[in-house]
Amino acid sequence: MRTSVMNARIIGYAAFCLIILAVPLFIDDGYLLNKLSRYLVFGILSMALSISWGYTGILNLGQAVSFGLGSYCMAMALKLRTIPIQTGANGLPDFMVWNNVKSMPWLWEPFHSYAFAICAGVAVPVVLAFLLGSFIFRARVTGVYVAIITLAMLVVINLLIIDQQRLTGGFNGITDLTTLALFGVEFDAYSPATYYLVALSLTAALFLGLALISSKTGLIMQAIRDDETRVRYFGYDVASYQNFAFCVSAGIAGFAGMLYTLVMEFASPTFLGVPISLSIVIWCAVGGRASLVGSALGAIVVTGVQGSLSETPAFLDTWLLIMGALFIAVVLFIPKGLVSVLDFRLFRRGRRRETPSARPAPGAAAPETGRHASAALPKKFRAG
Amino acid sequence: MTDTINQLFTGLSIASILLLVALGLAIIYGTMGVINLAHGEFVMLGAYTVWLLQSQFGIDLLTCLVFVFLIVGAIGWLLERTMIRRLYGRPLDTILLTWGIGVMLQQAVRLGAGAQLRYVKMPEFLTQAVSVFGVDQSAYRIFILLLTVALLFATYCLMFRTDFGMRLRAVMQNPEIARCFGINASRVYSMTFAYGAGLAGLAGALVSPLKSVSPDMGTGFVVDAFMVVVVGGVQSLLGTVVSAGILGQLSGVIAFLSNDTLAKALVFFSVVILIRFRPQGIFAMKMRRG
Repeated sequence: MRTSVMNARIIGYAAFCLIILAVPLFIDDGYLLNKLSRYLVFGILSMALSISWGYTGILNLGQAVSFGLGSYCMAMALKLRTIPIQTGANGLPDFMVWNNVKSMPWLWEPFHSYAFAICAGVAVPVVLAFLLGSFIFRARVTGVYVAIITLAMLVVINLLIIDQQRLTGGFNGITDLTTLALFGVEFDAYSPATYYLVALSLTAALFLGLALISSKTGLIMQAIRDDETRVRYFGYDVASYQNFAFCVSAGIAGFAGMLYTLVMEFASPTFLGVPISLSIVIWCAVGGRASLVGSALGAIVVTGVQGSLSETPAFLDTWLLIMGALFIAVVLFIPKGLVSVLDFRLFRRGRRRETPSARPAPGAAAPETGRHASAALPKKFRAG
Repeated sequence: MTDTINQLFTGLSIASILLLVALGLAIIYGTMGVINLAHGEFVMLGAYTVWLLQSQFGIDLLTCLVFVFLIVGAIGWLLERTMIRRLYGRPLDTILLTWGIGVMLQQAVRLGAGAQLRYVKMPEFLTQAVSVFGVDQSAYRIFILLLTVALLFATYCLMFRTDFGMRLRAVMQNPEIARCFGINASRVYSMTFAYGAGLAGLAGALVSPLKSVSPDMGTGFVVDAFMVVVVGGVQSLLGTVVSAGILGQLSGVIAFLSNDTLAKALVFFSVVILIRFRPQGIFAMKMRRG
């Protein structure tokens, strides 16, 4: 019974991935491809949040931290290879010269190697997430407090990056980058090669995520989302599972950040600003927080609509209003996201026979989370 | 000595604003378990109300304060009545909802009042410096400090000396039992939300002459205020006061030694470390909850 739902899901995911991979066959417009790649990067990002929020119940309002750090790692490596380097000695990047930096900072040294930069793009966000996670999850901080702390971290790291102008280029970020060339393929932002790279990454991320949530670890993650205390009574180390999901999500977001640098051809502090972090949560909520492909689609559709609407001046200013209203409407009326509306039709037959614990996607998720969080949290923070 | 007093005073000044913002937040969270991410936007609305009243009708800041409290409070009341009350029992979703509300308020103000910075005049008689312990201090900052103390006292009286306060505390402790005793919990909720919003509006009005007024000014405030609530523990007036004092002084000192950004970062890291060992905050009240 479970396998039939699983098979249907795999088929659905595969169809989605085939469609996005086939897109360049029909589109021969570099500008449009670049725009689509951007949307797909957001899809990966939104899917990463779904793993921590939709499946483990950790609402990370600072998802953009991982995204931005990944993006900076990639940008640093590309910046060091920019030819011609508009600098004086030792190939120092231009903004450092403007900031009176005399020699290459040690932080930048290892980024001469692509291999290091690409590893760092994933590892730095993961390490940061792990450190923060070890503190908050071990302290059994849950629910709203996690949201607040991650939001605070976002604001702090954003300020730090702007403040450390000599290392990060401050407000301007890192611009004027070379194009990445790996294994003889050049990833120009407007080429199909970059699009394929992004689409393949989304495919890989989706199936990786699917494998994770269908594994035993994934089931425990979902059990933690539904009732943390009960899982603890079963003897599982809840904090480790939460931290694991938090780190996986951060790693994928970091990877998406690297891709975003390739697509946008720069890195900027706005990549880890509050607005983008808010957007990620909105995409995920609109698409369906407890569905990987749903949250990815949410990002693609919302940013797609945004992209086409913001070209008309009337919507340029009102877009945020529309987005806010859409978000409020989704939260109030369809908390499981748009995908739950579709899913209900598709899997109506399969659902009836299923055991509740085997079913991760929309269903019991949201109301359960709410009930227990409201009951468990006050105890935690008020009992003293 | 002069430096020390100056430094202490800077810290107190930061702390008083923090306290005003955090007080509303703590009361709202403590009562209904709603993390109000639109709180920063209430601060922003307060500042804009002053700007509007001052530039359109020439009302001076002190008179504005009354209007600000009522107007922002009314907006808060309306939001609670129409939207937030649908989500009691889904605390994680109230964050999303209030965040969405915040975005809309911000963008609405940006469209209505323009994205440029606005400036607010402070009252004439508060522009001079006043000598405190032989050190010159801005009279306006002292005024903020005194007003904060007054509002704190008012809040204390409201909570512990009035009939409404008694009902509020009953609902805080156990909404179901409170209902059984005939307390209209949903009315208490909306009044509390309005009061918290009004306090945030006042904070915004008070800082408006010190900082430039812009649609996105609220974000910074709300994060700092949350740090105060996290450190102080919810539901404890004393905790909120002390933790605002600590964080204010800490920010002041670190900002003096290096810069504002580093101060924010270090305060954040200390709060994370503190949370590891005292997740319930420094001053958590012992309280039973059904």
